[in-house]
Amino acid sequence: MHLSDRVTGAVLVALGGAAALAGSRLPAVPGQDVGPAAFPMLIGCGLMLCGALIALGIGRSFEVPEEADAAPPGPLRLGGLRALIPPALLLFYMLASEPLGFLATTGIMVLVAAIALGARPVLAFPLAVVMPPLIHLAFYKLLRVPLPAGVLPAPW
Amino acid sequence: MHDLLQAVQLVAAPDVLIAILASAIYGLVVGSLPGLSATMATALLVPVTFWLSPIAAIATIITASAMAIFSGDIPGCLLRIPGTPASAAYTDEAYAMTRKGQAEMALGAGLWFSAIGGIVGTLSLVLMAPLLAEMALSFSTYEYFWLALLGLMCATLVARSSPIKAIAAMLLGLLIACIGMENPAGTPRFTFGLTDLLGGIEPIPALVGVFAVSEVMRAMLTPEPPPLPKRKFGSILANQWMLTKKYQWPMWRGNIIGIIIGVLPGAGADMAAWVSYAMSKKFSKTPELFGTGHPEGLVEAGASNNASLASGWVPSLLFGIPGDTITAIAIGVLYMKGLNPGPTLFTERASSMYALYLIFILANIIMIPLGIIMIRLASTVLRAPRAAVMPVILVLCAVGAFATGNNLFSVLLVGIFGCLGFVMERNGYPVAALVLGIVMGNMVEQNFITSLIKSDGDVLPFFERPVSGVLAALTFGALLWPLGVWVWNRVQGRAARAA
Repeated sequence: MHLSDRVTGAVLVALGGAAALAGSRLPAVPGQDVGPAAFPMLIGCGLMLCGALIALGIGRSFEVPEEADAAPPGPLRLGGLRALIPPALLLFYMLASEPLGFLATTGIMVLVAAIALGARPVLAFPLAVVMPPLIHLAFYKLLRVPLPAGVLPAPW
Repeated sequence: MHDLLQAVQLVAAPDVLIAILASAIYGLVVGSLPGLSATMATALLVPVTFWLSPIAAIATIITASAMAIFSGDIPGCLLRIPGTPASAAYTDEAYAMTRKGQAEMALGAGLWFSAIGGIVGTLSLVLMAPLLAEMALSFSTYEYFWLALLGLMCATLVARSSPIKAIAAMLLGLLIACIGMENPAGTPRFTFGLTDLLGGIEPIPALVGVFAVSEVMRAMLTPEPPPLPKRKFGSILANQWMLTKKYQWPMWRGNIIGIIIGVLPGAGADMAAWVSYAMSKKFSKTPELFGTGHPEGLVEAGASNNASLASGWVPSLLFGIPGDTITAIAIGVLYMKGLNPGPTLFTERASSMYALYLIFILANIIMIPLGIIMIRLASTVLRAPRAAVMPVILVLCAVGAFATGNNLFSVLLVGIFGCLGFVMERNGYPVAALVLGIVMGNMVEQNFITSLIKSDGDVLPFFERPVSGVLAALTFGALLWPLGVWVWNRVQGRAARAA
C-alpha cells in the first residue's frame, strides 16, 4: 500500500488536529496550570507541523529511493489485499479461540496462512496438525498460559 | 569481590546456563531467517521470560539478541538478503566476497569481529556504567526530560529516512502512549469509552505487531527468496587472525563508534553498522575496493553493530531510557523482574549487575563455536520454506500477545499495529521511532509535566542547570542536524557546479 506523501501528510495533519482538539477539551486539574491536556496538545501541534511539511515534500532528499520491489502480482488477482490475511487471522483468533479452543483455531490459522503463502497441501495440512499441539504444549504446560480448551481440548 | 563471587554463583545456576544455551540457538536460527529481526526474536521471548528467574530472563534476552545480530550476516553473505536490518549496511560487500569464492572469510569475519565487538562493548559497559551512575544520582526531572527527548531525537536520526517522517513517527508513538489513564493527572484520555484502553497500550503487543506481524504481511506480497545452494565450507576462522592484524585500526574504530552510538539513547545496532561502514570507506587507504568484496568494511561494521548492542544497555540500566529497540523490550523485563533501572541498581544490586556483565561475556564467547555450527548448518536451516515458518510466527504473535496479559484485546492490538507498521514501512516512516515513542511516552510526559509544575510554568529552569543545559543543546543539535546536512549538501553541490 504505497501512498503519496500528500496523502500521508494530510492524514497526519488531520490526526494531529484531532488530538490537539480532543486534548484541549480534557478537564484541567484544579489549582494547576498544566494538566493532562498539555502533552496531547503539544504532540498534536507537532504532528500537524510534520504532516504539513511532509505533504509539501520537504525532507524528501534524505530518503533512499526504495528498491523496486516489483512483486509479480500473485496467482490470486487479489494483489495487495493478500497482505490483510495475517491481521484478519489475528482477528479470527480473538473471536474464535474461546468457543473453538486453541488447537482448532490455530490449526485453521496455520492452514490458511500457509496456503496464502503458496504452500502445497502436502506441507500445509501436516503443518496445521503438528504445530498447534507443539505450541500449546510449550505455552500451556511449560509457561502456564491459560489457553482456552474449546471443542477440542488437548490431552494434557 | 564478594559481589563478583555471588554473580558467578548466579550465572552458574543450571537454569541460567540452560536459558543461555537455548536462547543462543533460538537467536541464531531466528536471526538467520531473512525478515525475522533481532528485535522480533527478543519481543517473542518476553512471554517466556515471565516464568524464568530474573537473571535467567535477562540472560535469554542478552544472548538471543547478540546471536541474532551476528547470524543476520549469514543470509546476507550467502543470499544477499540481510537477516536483520543491522546487517544491511554490508550485505552487498559480503555477498561480493562470496561471489569471489571467499564465503568462509566473509562469514568468519562476521562471526569473529561480532564476538570481539560484543566483548569490547561489554567492557565499556563495565567501565562506563558505574561512573555515569554516580553522576545520574544528582539528576532531576529536568535532566531526565532532556535525556528522554534526546533519545527520541537520536532515534529519528537513524539513517536512510526523511528526518521529518521520522519525527512524525515518533510523535505518533508519543500520541499512542497518551492513551489510557497513566498520566500525571490520572485522567482517562483517548479511550473512546473502551475499558480495555483505560490501562493504556502495552509496548509488547505494539512491538510484536510492528516488527513481526508486518513482516508476515510483507511475506504475503513478496516472492519467496531463492533456495540456498548446498555447499561445503572450508575453515571458518582460518584467516581471521590475519584480518585482525591487518585491519586492527578499523576494528578498534568500529568498536568505539559502536559503543558511542549504543550509548546514545535511541540509536542502535542498525545505525552503528551504517555509520561504521561509511566511516570505514571514508578513511580506508583503498576506498575504491569497497563494494567489490573487500573485508575492511565488514570488519569495522561487524564489530560496530555488536559493540553497540552491549553499550546500548548503559542508558537502559542507568536511566530506564532504551538504547535501542531491543533494550526497549529489556527494560520492560527488568521492571517485571524487580530490577528497576536506575543508578541505585549499581549500588544495591551490584551482584546482579556483575552477573549481567558475565552473561554478556559468556554469550560472546559461546557465539564462536555455536556460530561455526550455525554457518555449517545454514544451508539446511535456510531451506526451511517460508510458507512453513511465517504461519508459525503468526500463531506465536497471537499467543505471545495473549500471554502478556491473558487478554484477548492485545491480540487485536497486535493485528492493528501490524497494519500500522506495514503501511508506515511502505511509505518511508521508520517504525523504530514509533516504538521508542510508545515506550518512552509516559517518561517524557511525567518529567515534562513535573518539571513544569516545579518551575511554575516557567521554561527557563529547563536550561539553567549545567547538565540539563548540555543535554538541551544536544537535543536541539540532533533536531537541527538534518537541516545542517541539507545546507552543506546544497553548498557543496553549488561549488561543484561552479567548478
